[in-house]
Amino acid sequence: MAELKKKKIIGIVCERSVDLKKHVQKNHLKDKNNVAIVELTCSGMIQPVMIEEAFKQGAEGVFVMGCQIGDCHFREGNKWCQDRLLGLRPPNIKKTVDKNKVRGYWLAKCDYKKFLDKINKFEEDLNNVNS
Amino acid sequence: MYKKILEKLQTLTVDFEKLLNKVFSQQYNPFYYHGAVPNLFLWTLLVTGVLLFAYFQPTLDSAYISVNYISTKIPFGQIVRGLHRYAADAMMIAVIIHAVRVFFTDRYRKYRWIAWYSGVALLLCMFAIGITGYILVWDERSYMIVLMMTDALKQIPLFGHSIAKLFVNGEVITHYTMAMSFFLHVGISFFLLYLLWLHYLRISRPVTDVPLGLGLLLFSTIMIPAALIPVVSGKPAVLTQTPHEFPVDWFYLWIFPLFSGMPALIVWTGLFIAVAVLLLLPYLIVDTPKSPATVSLDNCVGCTLCAKDCPYEAIYMVPRTDHPKYKQLAIVIDSRCAECGLCVGACAFKAIDLPQKHSKEIIAKIGDILKEPAGAGV
Repeated sequence: MAELKKKKIIGIVCERSVDLKKHVQKNHLKDKNNVAIVELTCSGMIQPVMIEEAFKQGAEGVFVMGCQIGDCHFREGNKWCQDRLLGLRPPNIKKTVDKNKVRGYWLAKCDYKKFLDKINKFEEDLNNVNS
Repeated sequence: MYKKILEKLQTLTVDFEKLLNKVFSQQYNPFYYHGAVPNLFLWTLLVTGVLLFAYFQPTLDSAYISVNYISTKIPFGQIVRGLHRYAADAMMIAVIIHAVRVFFTDRYRKYRWIAWYSGVALLLCMFAIGITGYILVWDERSYMIVLMMTDALKQIPLFGHSIAKLFVNGEVITHYTMAMSFFLHVGISFFLLYLLWLHYLRISRPVTDVPLGLGLLLFSTIMIPAALIPVVSGKPAVLTQTPHEFPVDWFYLWIFPLFSGMPALIVWTGLFIAVAVLLLLPYLIVDTPKSPATVSLDNCVGCTLCAKDCPYEAIYMVPRTDHPKYKQLAIVIDSRCAECGLCVGACAFKAIDLPQKHSKEIIAKIGDILKEPAGAGV
């Protein structure tokens, strides 16, 4: 397999989903230091503007992470967020944003390993998109 | 300390539910419908209850006979009676799971206090409905229940005798005792619906129904026993013979073994303390002071998106006259706000924000982090 280029990835993350407290140092993942993390109260709080802003500031990939669908602490946050990513619920993400570079993950507190796998896959996908 | 334990319990719940996800798939995990499952059994109870109501005669002479008549003569009567009994037990199990999950996942306090308090009241009502329901069959067990309950009620200081008199509907057991039990059984059931309304208050779009597949699966857990293991009455009650023991339904009649084991006053005190503890539970954790979402007058365009997305009915729209173009304004009810930020996510105009976690700050933070060279943290 070809050497993967490190992509600048930023994650906008619900603080109640995958427990990242131990894995984040100075806003970056310890295990993958090209992945930046911003934590929010709930994935439902993520505005499309935030995703657009991340790309404007030079991110090469943005992922959004919330709790498992059906298990939002605030009842509906992750559902709304998922719908927004899919373009089913206003406000919509601008069409200028390349949807290939946006991901949504819905994982529980203890899913760190699964989370890393998904991030690696995401990075691989990003490399493929650009080549 | 208490908070630490709660956190551990939460992780435990999530782990357990992930396991269930593998069995049921995420869409049909009954734990994601923990509030709707008791509802399914409640509707079963109401429907079967109405059917039983049609043939039941609430007098001492004919209650036992009419219940047996339902079982033996009415088509499907046995099954309807079985469903009524088994759904009651299933509902209690479901309610306990619901309460425990809500407690474990820390979803019972702060802006959710009204649901917790009405939930405690609902649970107490369920016990009352269950106990009076077992009286209606009027077999030996029913007789025992009335006797023990009357004795226990009399032990309550000050107004115990009056309550006991009300419960028996006089000094001795008569037809009116049965009428009272029937009234309590049905009357409290309707009161339950009122409490249920309180329980749903402040929740937008409550999940009240399980998906069809899951519903059928759960219904089969009561339908199969109802069809295979018929519910039968004990020996008919004879007022001159006091029975000594009876089979106990541990979900509803657990209080009677307690009554026979210790003075009733201790049981009542224990119950009182248990309820008090449940009601105090939400206030054991001291929270940081609230800072509910605020609306910016200049930015709000009245698009109603935040009001639609709010999961706790904390935002409503009012007409506004101070702006030439925009006709509506979003207003936040502070006491209902959960500070979850869902309204922030719904707003495309930077008009609604959490003071302690402003969307501007988050956007600025995104910019700052991306400006750092990758791996700056290591």
